Amino acid sequence: MADLSIDFAGIKSPNPFWLASAPPTNTGYQVQRAFEAGWGGAVWKTLGEPVINTSSRFAAVHFGGQRVAGFNNIELITDRPLEVNLKEIYETKKRFPNNTIIASLMVEPKQEKWHEIVKRVEAVGVDGLELNFGCPHGMAERGMGAASGQQPDLVQAQTAWVKEVATTPVIVKMTPNITDITVVARHAVKGGADAISLINTINSLAGVDIHSWNTIPNVGGQGAHGGYCGPAVKPIALSMVAECARDRAVGVPISGIGGISTWQDVVEFMLMGSTGIQVCTAVMHHGFRIVEEMIDGLNNYLDEKGLASVMELVGKSVPKYSNWGDLDLNYKVVARINEDNCINCNKCHIACEDASHQCIDMLTNAEGKAILQVREEDCVGCNLCSIVCPADGAIDMVALDSGVAPMTWNQRNQVISGLNGSYSEAEVG
Amino acid sequence: MSAFDEFDQERQAIDSLLLQGYTVTGIFEDLDGARVRFIPSEPAGEPVELLLLTADARKHVTTLIFGGSKPASPIGTHT
Ligand SMILES: Cc1cc2nc3c(=O)[nH]c(=O)nc-3n(C[C@H](O)[C@H](O)[C@H](O)COP(=O)(O)O)c2cc1C
Ligand code: SF4
Ligand code: SF4
Repeated sequence: MADLSIDFAGIKSPNPFWLASAPPTNTGYQVQRAFEAGWGGAVWKTLGEPVINTSSRFAAVHFGGQRVAGFNNIELITDRPLEVNLKEIYETKKRFPNNTIIASLMVEPKQEKWHEIVKRVEAVGVDGLELNFGCPHGMAERGMGAASGQQPDLVQAQTAWVKEVATTPVIVKMTPNITDITVVARHAVKGGADAISLINTINSLAGVDIHSWNTIPNVGGQGAHGGYCGPAVKPIALSMVAECARDRAVGVPISGIGGISTWQDVVEFMLMGSTGIQVCTAVMHHGFRIVEEMIDGLNNYLDEKGLASVMELVGKSVPKYSNWGDLDLNYKVVARINEDNCINCNKCHIACEDASHQCIDMLTNAEGKAILQVREEDCVGCNLCSIVCPADGAIDMVALDSGVAPMTWNQRNQVISGLNGSYSEAEVG
Repeated sequence: MSAFDEFDQERQAIDSLLLQGYTVTGIFEDLDGARVRFIPSEPAGEPVELLLLTADARKHVTTLIFGGSKPASPIGTHT
């Protein structure tokens, strides 16, 4: 069995599975049960001045038979007094000294407010701090959460204020509701962040009830934008993690969050640069015990790969993530239909005719059977037919040897500007 | 005409000029495609310009220059 323990910016954890700051980490009772189930760490539900929540506050997007493909909420930070939370953190840490407890914090952008809360939470023995600059609703209207997180200078200043007094590692949790996540990440690092975590929830409206015309969720007939999370956001989270992981100016450990619900998701996030991960929606959907399957799956995977420690995964796919301009324009794949597995549903033909390059022909084979065949010279290798094909193994995307050297868009532009250097457009025209 | 045939016609035009000793001296791309300027090897010859419409031909011509390869090997095809 591989070693699942991680060292996240100096924070030791028995495994990379942490609960994200959210309803499952609202109380000591819950966090202790989570640790008993196998979770390595928990980021406590964000602490700050207690708020009052609305009823209702959650909504879900069910899609194509899958319940909770996406999840939406208009919940705020903890509604319990700080002292109560601190007492429970203290008790939980005492009972589970080897598990990781991170305090998520949010206060107004005022130096003295940050100093006060940091000193009080560190006094009860947390392993680290996570600054919540991500909550997109409710707190943002008060100048906190995403309202802070969308202003890089404010992220930097507040991180620096925390670092002035913090004795444990400081993680900055970022909002995805921003154009370029690396700008904020760099400012967090400039402010002294020891690590970053991403993503918090994405601005969203889960739906509108077409009978009552109310928003979903609604509070007495009124709605507001909320935060989106769950499996639907995983690709967005993963790309933001990747952008930060490959940015040398960021260069701090990353805690990956967003749509993680299986051990495979965990592997993907770690390969793409996360040193650990956090989970919220999957636990709200399935309960704490999903971690058992995650631990088993990860263990088996590491054994199969011959890896002794989960830390060996961290960042291995980062070098494979670059810019479009650096992709090889001469790389060529084509679709091949495997008659043995094809059930002749024609979905690939329709997709290619209507949305791609009209290169799947309907033919009749020697035995008079209808078959589909790709004219490979016209196939652009877009993948669409294999995406829509419902039969496993019916379409393979096959790489062809183009017989020429790789050439990227950037290299091509260099060739063209090198050539054109000595001519003006008018001379050639 | 299939996309491949459109490309193939343009490729043949490029390859034949190169085989006749022409060299590419400028490529200007705009909304209509790429205008590729060729000059002949003998100083007295007239420059020729091709308007390339297909993406594969526009890629082909730059691949040849970039890779320094001969125009013989077709791109994006297989046997
Ligand atoms: C109901 C709910 C409440 C949340 N409350 C907090 C919070 O108090 N602090 C915080 O940093 N993130 C909060 N989050 C965001 C999660 O920590 C996490 O970043 C997000 O849900 C993405 O992860 P997931 O796709 O696994 O749910 C909350 C999410 C949900 C669904
Ligand atoms: S990969 Fe794209 S272009 Fe090729 S056959 Fe499939 S749908 Fe058509
Ligand atoms: S979509 Fe798949 S199963 Fe359907 S006809 Fe095409 S190859 Fe066959």
